[in-house]
Amino acid sequence: MNVLYATLGFIAVYAYVSFASLLWGGIDRKLVARMQRRMGPPLLQPFYDFLKLVGKESIIPRNANKFFELAPVLALATSIALLAYTPLGFEPLFGTKGDVILFIYLLTLIGFLRVLGAVSSGSPYAQIGAQREMIILVSREAPMMLGLFTVLWRLNEFGVTKPFSMGTFYEHNIWELGTPLSFIGTLILLFVFLVWLASEIEVGYFDIPEAETELAEGTMAEYSGRHLALFELANAIKAFVSASLVVAIFLPWGISPYLGLSGTEGMIVDLLFHTLKVFAVLFVSMSVFRAVTGRLRITQAVNLFWTRLLPASIVGALLLAIDAMGVIA
Amino acid sequence: MMLPYLITIPLFGAFALPIVSLAGRKARELWAILVSALTLGVATEVFRTVWKSGEVMVYTLGAESPLGQGVDFPIRIVWEVDLLGAIVALMIAFIAFVAILYSTEYMRHDTGLEKYYALILLLEVGMLGIAITGDLFNFYVFLEIMSIASYALVAFRNDTWEGIEAGIKYMFAGSLASAFILLGIALLYGQYGTLTMAYLAKQIAANPTFTAKVALGLIAGGLLFKSGAVPVHMWLADAHPAAPSSISAMLSGLVIKIGGTYALARLAFSVYGMGINLRTLGWIIIFFACLTLIVGNAMAIVQTDMKRLFAFSSVGQIGYILLGIGIGLAAYGSDVGEVALAGAIYHTVNHALMKALLFLVAGAVIHQLGTKNLNELSGIARKMPVTSFAFLVGAAAIIGLPPLNGFASKWLIYESSALFNPFLAAIAVIGTAFCTAAYIRVLFTFFGRPSEKVMNAKEPGKAMLVPMMILVLAIILMGLFPWAISEKVMIPAAKMLENVGTYVSAVLGGA
Repeated sequence: MNVLYATLGFIAVYAYVSFASLLWGGIDRKLVARMQRRMGPPLLQPFYDFLKLVGKESIIPRNANKFFELAPVLALATSIALLAYTPLGFEPLFGTKGDVILFIYLLTLIGFLRVLGAVSSGSPYAQIGAQREMIILVSREAPMMLGLFTVLWRLNEFGVTKPFSMGTFYEHNIWELGTPLSFIGTLILLFVFLVWLASEIEVGYFDIPEAETELAEGTMAEYSGRHLALFELANAIKAFVSASLVVAIFLPWGISPYLGLSGTEGMIVDLLFHTLKVFAVLFVSMSVFRAVTGRLRITQAVNLFWTRLLPASIVGALLLAIDAMGVIA
Repeated sequence: MMLPYLITIPLFGAFALPIVSLAGRKARELWAILVSALTLGVATEVFRTVWKSGEVMVYTLGAESPLGQGVDFPIRIVWEVDLLGAIVALMIAFIAFVAILYSTEYMRHDTGLEKYYALILLLEVGMLGIAITGDLFNFYVFLEIMSIASYALVAFRNDTWEGIEAGIKYMFAGSLASAFILLGIALLYGQYGTLTMAYLAKQIAANPTFTAKVALGLIAGGLLFKSGAVPVHMWLADAHPAAPSSISAMLSGLVIKIGGTYALARLAFSVYGMGINLRTLGWIIIFFACLTLIVGNAMAIVQTDMKRLFAFSSVGQIGYILLGIGIGLAAYGSDVGEVALAGAIYHTVNHALMKALLFLVAGAVIHQLGTKNLNELSGIARKMPVTSFAFLVGAAAIIGLPPLNGFASKWLIYESSALFNPFLAAIAVIGTAFCTAAYIRVLFTFFGRPSEKVMNAKEPGKAMLVPMMILVLAIILMGLFPWAISEKVMIPAAKMLENVGTYVSAVLGGA
């Protein structure tokens, strides 16, 4: 019975997140347009795009293999599976101890499936895009993992029920440590995560694999019709999920206790509040970043990750670790 | 008692093969398949019996009891199967069956096939013998049966230069390693006057001498050679690419583990378990394991020959197994050691499945395209989707991606090494990173833009695809129930291996 409810909840979450993430796509486009004194498309434009793409003919290149058609389906399936482990204002539906690794794995897998799909197309544009995406993929996860594991390790000292799971953020959060050192460390990690988020959804500096003007859409060059639609949806969900991770680590507070709500109503209110926070985080990391920065070259981006972001993450993690040792009170 | 049939059936099959093959090619192939299928049935039965009862199965050749009349020490050859031996025997029989099934189509263009099938069955006999024997000299004999059969099989295509070259290299170095092992056994016999492992364990425990340690050094050195640990891995990188792919699958999946890591674990735990400082031995093995992990996986990245890449990857994976065994020895008696040992056993089985699959895939590619140079193989997935899918599964499993079997076994090894010494876990993770890089490179080649050469390719026939699919199925099924398998089979096997007392008393009967 429990499994049944969880499954129903999972489907509802999936429907909601698909809606919210596509809606955010519309808001984002509107906001960026306004920043450049344009009118911009209507708010529901991503839905029209999606429906139109689904209706279009999907062209399979002659040199493509079976995986070309399979990759978008698998990418969407992975992003849906990822929702089961994503903190959305309440504990993840299928969360268990150690599910952080599963979360990172599935999140990376979506990127990897994009790469595999692109490689399978046989197009040289997509190949180059795929290589770039692979390089970025390898570079960006290290700082994020270090930060995430450090935060989760520090949270363990509060005595959480399920160590190293996404649910722990709702039992205790990192700000509760309260010491100045941990505060500084957390702020550094927050910066790292905002940059990571921008690279995860490939905007601004990190719009490298798709690089419209340079590589003619790169990884997605050969995709059309419903296959492209599936990828677009998977990407939108992935953006939402990645932002949810940042929100869960740094801004996990819910409002249901203040309103005196619990049970299903509480969950719904928290989900809505969580969506607002996700939109706020995405506004910083996506819309603003996209509007004010241009693309980097791939070498510059890799340099940025290994010589700026990873050291920042190490410093943040070290500050949190030194704080745990209690050397400096 | 099905145990004797584990040896007699394939041995009879091998010896009868020249006569059967007088009846023609079909009869020969059918006979080989039938014999290996029967062996698989017996191995399954033995495994079921040992697993159900949880006791060590003992069989004495020639009498009811291993003990001589009126004396309280064993004088006969005993076969002794604990859960680890049973798992390994099942694994051997399974992979051998799959490889023989695969050979029927793969080897069709070669001549002298009555010798081929006889040798492959002898190889199976040798490995099964090592898995079940409880006698040190008997172990040596089976080791030589296995080794000589594999020398001959590596050089089976004797009209190619690389087959002969690899065969000679393997034989010269391998004979030397076997000689070390024999010398070690001779020293042990001279010192203690017995060759029964269980009784020897008791004797060494009662009187640990310097000779015993020298013998251990000699035997362990020989076994590390046979397993392809790093300073002595060079034969492997030549032998695996040169052998026919069905043989590479057995060499990489089985021979290096049975004649190497399994025998090492058996020797270290069951024979020397009570007599020497296991911590020292453990750290020595860990040292070689770390070297093997890094060198094997790193060398895999730079290869352009597909089978050579898989061969180096086998070296790298042996590093994980050795790491598990090493930690199991160094942390003997603790939970960490037990988990590491269970991880090593689990990884042995998993790696046998996935490396056999990968070599069968390589064989299919070579069979259809006539090249194993990765630079020429771009875009196979377009023309050989099933083979490419099999490769995808095998590669994902060997990297250790969660829905497949490689994840759980590697996880056990990571977890235990992190608890034992975080530095070792870091080395293991670096090894995996190299391994991932190597396989992703091949994956990109397979899925890329089809080259001219590839455009004329097509899928191999059923006799080659079915064995691959069997292995894919096994990998996926084992990947779905990793913790159940680990709890119910691998941890008990590790416990049984650690518990030397039962191994000894099963033969000596408490004497």
